[in-house]
Amino acid sequence: MTVMPVVKPELSTKVAVRNLDFFYGDSRALKDITIGLHTNKVTAFIGPSGCGKSTLLRVLNRMYDLYPKQRAQGEVLLDGENILNPAVDVNLLRSRVGMVFQKPTPFPMSIYDNIAFGIRLYEKLSKAALDARVEEALRGAALWEEVKDKLQMSGLGLSGGQQQRLCIARSVAVQPEVILFDEPCSALDPISTAKVEELIDELSERYTIAIVTHNMQQAVRVSDFTAFMYLGELVEFGETDNVFTAPREKKTQDYITGRFG
Amino acid sequence: MSDHTVKAYDRDLETLGRRIAEMGGIAEKMLTDAMDALAASDVALAQRVVQTDPRLDALQREIEENAILTIARRQPLAVDLRECIAAIRISGDLERVGDLAKNIAKRTVKIVGEARVPRAIIGLKSMHDVAALQLKDALDAYAQRDVERARAVWANDVELDALEDSVFRDLLTFMMEDPRNISFCTHLLFCSKNLERIGDHTTNISETVVYLVTGESMPSERPKTRAAASGLESPIDTPH
Repeated sequence: MTVMPVVKPELSTKVAVRNLDFFYGDSRALKDITIGLHTNKVTAFIGPSGCGKSTLLRVLNRMYDLYPKQRAQGEVLLDGENILNPAVDVNLLRSRVGMVFQKPTPFPMSIYDNIAFGIRLYEKLSKAALDARVEEALRGAALWEEVKDKLQMSGLGLSGGQQQRLCIARSVAVQPEVILFDEPCSALDPISTAKVEELIDELSERYTIAIVTHNMQQAVRVSDFTAFMYLGELVEFGETDNVFTAPREKKTQDYITGRFG
Repeated sequence: MSDHTVKAYDRDLETLGRRIAEMGGIAEKMLTDAMDALAASDVALAQRVVQTDPRLDALQREIEENAILTIARRQPLAVDLRECIAAIRISGDLERVGDLAKNIAKRTVKIVGEARVPRAIIGLKSMHDVAALQLKDALDAYAQRDVERARAVWANDVELDALEDSVFRDLLTFMMEDPRNISFCTHLLFCSKNLERIGDHTTNISETVVYLVTGESMPSERPKTRAAASGLESPIDTPH
């Protein structure tokens, strides 16, 4: 089903998904998805388990490539260029489109190296320049003040909330254009959650953000646009304020008000 | 509308609806009793109306508290959020309707010794009949979540405004006819204003019902003439 998004003319589209189908083997998990992520806006994806929202996220940076029997059909245009094209350099793509997962995944290295690792993959920098980039990334993730005196400490020694912000810093370090968040706060306490939400607010000024979340109130708080998915289809897409105060579709309303199931 | 997975959520919202219906019933009775008391110069009835008002105030506070607690507890969204907001708004409007009916009743007590002008009451009765029917329709529209009915109430407010104009002219005439009529008619003038204000609160209720069901607000300008209300004239043509 194609749901035409409500697009204001002054907004540009960073990522345009067109008629996207996705298959796990023979099973069709995404059905004819057409949607646009607006530049420097936060788009939330909500829906019951199995609706395809995480699957969709993983198409946006070709994460599914890592697994056999998973394939995508259709188009995903990043600044007009179709990233599903086999000729695309996926490593480069994944530096432009970063991802933060539900469970924090710090590398088993120092905090410094966690950040520097990604930068070193793509760029050759002097120590001073690298130091500056690491600091910039940690500042960008609101973590610098907490770790600046222990950069050589293992990343695994940080608290859950700090580890998650470390992962965000790692994404930010390679200067992406889009950041994908897959339930980034599910494993965090309320204070860490608030810090990450504040961070998402700040990050959206410079990056285009997509966030999958089970927490309806979080979707209302952090996002500008919301997409509701169900059984692999896009049911409704619109400005967050409208979707959550007066949704167009009954299914959307049933889900967000807890009348589902 | 299907049920919430958490049944207590349904109960929270149902309670709000029931309390509004209760408030509505009390306000309707206060209005009718106040008018009956005025027409019959029934001081005892008038005093009973005045004594009913605190119950209405208490209900309004209870509804507001419940709505606030529901918002805190459930973080409601979409139609559920609009239900809570609607309950807060409508209870406020009904509380004012009660106050205005009480004011009419208090005037009945005040004018008990005055020379009466029976003809003057007639126009007021007409106003009351329209206002009472409007209120009933607005409350029914809320209970049934009936948008068309609510819109009809909204459009019909112009009827009450027109009646108020004619009552005003009549009362002036009676006062000019005989200065002994002035005191009585001036009190009735206030009563007619109260009835017109009751009509406005009723229209607010109907606007809230439309918002509750559709999520949309009514246009800010209500029709000012009957022709405008029926869509025959554009608002800019109407003299007012």
